[in-house]
Amino acid sequence: MDGNPTPAGIRNIDRAVEFPRPAGAELAGRTEWTDEALMLAILERDQHAFAVLYDRYVDLVYSAAYRILGDAGLAEDTVQDVFVRLWRRPETFIAERGRFISWLMSVTRHRALDELRARGRRWKREGGPLGDPVESAEPVFHPGDPDPSASAELAEERAAVRRALESLPADQRRALELAYFGGLTQQEIAAYLHEPLGTIKTRIRLGMQKLRRGLERHR
Amino acid sequence: MLGEHLTQEQADEYAIGSLEPELERAIALHLAECPACRDIVRDAERLAALLAVSQPVRRASPRLRQRVLTAAGIRKPGPAWRAFTIGRAAAGLAAIIVAAGAFSGMLGLRTQVNALRSQNADLQRQIDEALSQKVALAALTQKLEDQEAVAAELRETLKSDSELFIALISPSSQVAAVVSVDPSRGSIGRLVWDDDQKRVWFVASQLRQLPPGETYQLWVNSGGRYYSLGTFAPDDAGFARYETRLPEGITSYDTAVVTIERAGGSPTREGPAVFFVTDLSRLTRN
Repeated sequence: MDGNPTPAGIRNIDRAVEFPRPAGAELAGRTEWTDEALMLAILERDQHAFAVLYDRYVDLVYSAAYRILGDAGLAEDTVQDVFVRLWRRPETFIAERGRFISWLMSVTRHRALDELRARGRRWKREGGPLGDPVESAEPVFHPGDPDPSASAELAEERAAVRRALESLPADQRRALELAYFGGLTQQEIAAYLHEPLGTIKTRIRLGMQKLRRGLERHR
Repeated sequence: MLGEHLTQEQADEYAIGSLEPELERAIALHLAECPACRDIVRDAERLAALLAVSQPVRRASPRLRQRVLTAAGIRKPGPAWRAFTIGRAAAGLAAIIVAAGAFSGMLGLRTQVNALRSQNADLQRQIDEALSQKVALAALTQKLEDQEAVAAELRETLKSDSELFIALISPSSQVAAVVSVDPSRGSIGRLVWDDDQKRVWFVASQLRQLPPGETYQLWVNSGGRYYSLGTFAPDDAGFARYETRLPEGITSYDTAVVTIERAGGSPTREGPAVFFVTDLSRLTRN
């Protein structure tokens, strides 16, 4: 298991990419591997790499699913679907097309929105994607808290985007959240908020611009 | 609509999923052929992902971990993992005993304590080394089992592969792309229509499992009317290859669609469309 995975083990990836993996790594050493190195190990059916990746991201996946679904049970179902898919079909992650966290969040969002639409709960549920984040008795850790599961870079980027998000005018932030967490199109947002379509487009454009600038300033 | 390349605004709207389905599909098709626009969208998707992970973090239940491992088919931690845990526990226990001895003030035992510490360290190194070997062996064994299963599956499908290949190279066949209505997924398979063999193949991947009581159903539209070609289900990996005969009296079709219907299939198209056939003119070879 030591050394970099061989290119033959990298399926469905356009070109072979080698990721650093500690030489002579011990079992516990996987916790120091990059996401991409863990995914390559999972391609080789490394159960411990899967466990490490699960522990690293389960809270983020659960939090995103909960933000969309507003229900702990459904969010747990989504977590299960996402990670089982990751284990069974790791080749669907293509490293050249973006970072692992982007892919993981995209898969999580689509799965949670599928569940939301299937249940037809979008307009009926209290809070959730169309409201503010639902408070519950579960412990909630805000992004400002130390997060041992995230890399330092990711933690800093999260903090930067969080600051940028908090600095957005409420209507811009609302439009972004309705699109991303509510799964609504611009026309659906316009109808929901009783605003012209052009206004919604402008809010989303300005919101994304400001988030991007906030992230660039961080860099 | 779309120019030669996406604007940053379009990439952003695509990344956060706020576009209308038609435009999303158009962009998805464009991205399949344009590396430059893929780069723009990749950056936008990264920003969108940060939007997701910047939300307040909630701790998932510790019980969920075993549930996910079980669902993934990882039924037990495995001997290496158990040995790892037991080894760590044993090492910890030894350390506690050594520490207790030291605290007892029995200076006469210090030499023995130091010897025990040394032995403990040696044992720990041996445990770690053995565990590394066990992990490597378990991975190799698993890999071998996987490859044997794949080989058996390949043998079983070789025969029907040959039949499908004949259809694909037949001058009278039509091959069309099957596209998901979810624009982030794009093309997921092919529909092969072979007039010679009077057969149709539907081959697709990335299909999600449907809950009990529902099934995928394939339809073709000919002359403004939908004809059912039957129902099918994907395997555990989301792959489906469905083969059937052409409907009586139908020699060509205008379009095709896959819907989700109640189990057993529906006599008329009722459920939502999840995939449709496109690019027919580009891929038709006669």
